[in-house]
Amino acid sequence: MAKVFVLVEHRRGSIREATFECVTLARELQTAAGLEPAAVVIGSGVAPFAETLAAYLPETIVVDDPSLEHFRFETYAAVLRDLIERETPLLVIAPHSAFGMELVPRLSAELARPCATDCVAVGMDGGALAATRSVYNGKIDERLAFAPAGGYFATVRAGSYAPADPAGTGAIRAHACPAPPAAWRTEHRGYRETAAGAVDITQAPLLLAIGRGIKDAENIPKAQALADRLGAVLACSRPVVDKKWLGKERQVGTSGRTVKPKVYLALGISGAFQHIAGIKGPGVFIAVNRDPKAPVFRAADFGVVEDMFKIIDALAEKLGAK
Amino acid sequence: MEILVCVKRVPDTADAEVALRPDGRGIREEDLAFGINEWDNYAVEEAIRLKEKHGGAVTVATIGPAESEDVLRRCLAMGADDAVMIDEASFRGADPYGIARGLAGLARRKAYDLVLAGALAGDDGYGMTGPVLAGYLGWPHATLVTSIEVEGKKIAVARELEGGLEEILAVELPAVLTIQTGINEPRYVSIMGIRKVRSKDIPVLAPADIGVGAGEVGENANLLRSLGLSTPPAGAEAVMLKGAPAEVAQRILDIVKERGGVA
Repeated sequence: MAKVFVLVEHRRGSIREATFECVTLARELQTAAGLEPAAVVIGSGVAPFAETLAAYLPETIVVDDPSLEHFRFETYAAVLRDLIERETPLLVIAPHSAFGMELVPRLSAELARPCATDCVAVGMDGGALAATRSVYNGKIDERLAFAPAGGYFATVRAGSYAPADPAGTGAIRAHACPAPPAAWRTEHRGYRETAAGAVDITQAPLLLAIGRGIKDAENIPKAQALADRLGAVLACSRPVVDKKWLGKERQVGTSGRTVKPKVYLALGISGAFQHIAGIKGPGVFIAVNRDPKAPVFRAADFGVVEDMFKIIDALAEKLGAK
Repeated sequence: MEILVCVKRVPDTADAEVALRPDGRGIREEDLAFGINEWDNYAVEEAIRLKEKHGGAVTVATIGPAESEDVLRRCLAMGADDAVMIDEASFRGADPYGIARGLAGLARRKAYDLVLAGALAGDDGYGMTGPVLAGYLGWPHATLVTSIEVEGKKIAVARELEGGLEEILAVELPAVLTIQTGINEPRYVSIMGIRKVRSKDIPVLAPADIGVGAGEVGENANLLRSLGLSTPPAGAEAVMLKGAPAEVAQRILDIVKERGGVA
């Protein structure tokens, strides 16, 4: 029976959550398409990860070698080329993360197996695999089919599937690491923290978050002043950090911090999934944006279609009048 | 250092309403503003900074409609030395594999040390053209790059991971890098600057010039085939607070108080 592989993403000693979202998709495809799911764990000293995965899927394939200690395209791709050629899975899925983006598209080109990246859904359409992708800043969905090939790849957007719960006991099997080439052309040199800073947005009960709508560095003090009067901590989305208007430690989202405030008040944030993925917990989410179709209104509990500066002024006035 | 930067003209959809064409095969472009893909703008700036520090030249290239010339002129005004377009006709509707095939042909025409591209594009957002291009060239690559240091025949790059973490990777040249936003602060381009490069020649290459045969790229050669576009299902929508800003502000403050956010 045809297989679906889940590439297990792990870093610095733990399996990343996105892996278990891919497990959910693999189980769905088992039901919908009769594919046999298997986890693929690549790394050094990863036997414990394989044991974890065995509680989720019927089969776990482990490739364990000291040369695989840190993820690199070159070393992982060498393993996967060998494994995919031998086992010919119909589909290989991985998170659409810094790991998946580095590894999967190029591997797909080298193996001439089409890859749909950043999928929000993968399923069957008329007897063939099809993917749904979110395009144009989340405002449009696109359905994609694959040209016929020996097999396919898909990388899955974080949060598109709920993380799986353990179910049953699967088999674990080792696959040998292929012989290394004469020389590697890349080298892992270590990790670096970029979001360290004096401000900790992860502990604040009230976050006032600003996005692209703030428009200009000159408007930052206005937002900071409102945050101070509200007793909120000022946070932001990526564009504000990219422009160096606020530090990385204030960024909410996949590449920044994950927050769980009691109230999240987002001003001028369109709601890119990378940002929304950083807002967790049972708190209430209020979004203010001029565009009534902004994706942020699909994530928020309360929405206001209005110019953020009008709301800033109105809030400041109310607070001043107290 | 000889650097090729691959750029793309895209609609600005971050702050605009996006509507489907009646045939559901594309979006209505009439009301949208077009410009350089945001990630590519950072890539061009990074290439120019590398040139300013280490010498060499920067070439910018695109595969796109005739209007893409404006994007290339803007790159020239920023400080790129040369620009080149690939005739779009045979690439129309091409998926990222087709575009990467064309760019690989272009990259082989000269001894480039580095090819830069945006980590993704603001329209279709595949995030795959750069690494696929590296695969076709057989060069090492790194995606989501947030800093580049030249070390002779090697470079050290930082890659953006999740949760405020980066990894440092040493990469041998020649290499393909995809650039993440925020790596630098792209310089401002004045109207005067664009005027200065108005008469600069921008050659248009045919597929044969870059070693791409008829039918090898374009819609019929695609590995990924669009089944159509749709507006995302509404799903759970926010409860909309309506009224004048003062009323809305009061509602917001009430919610904050009720939910224990203080205020």
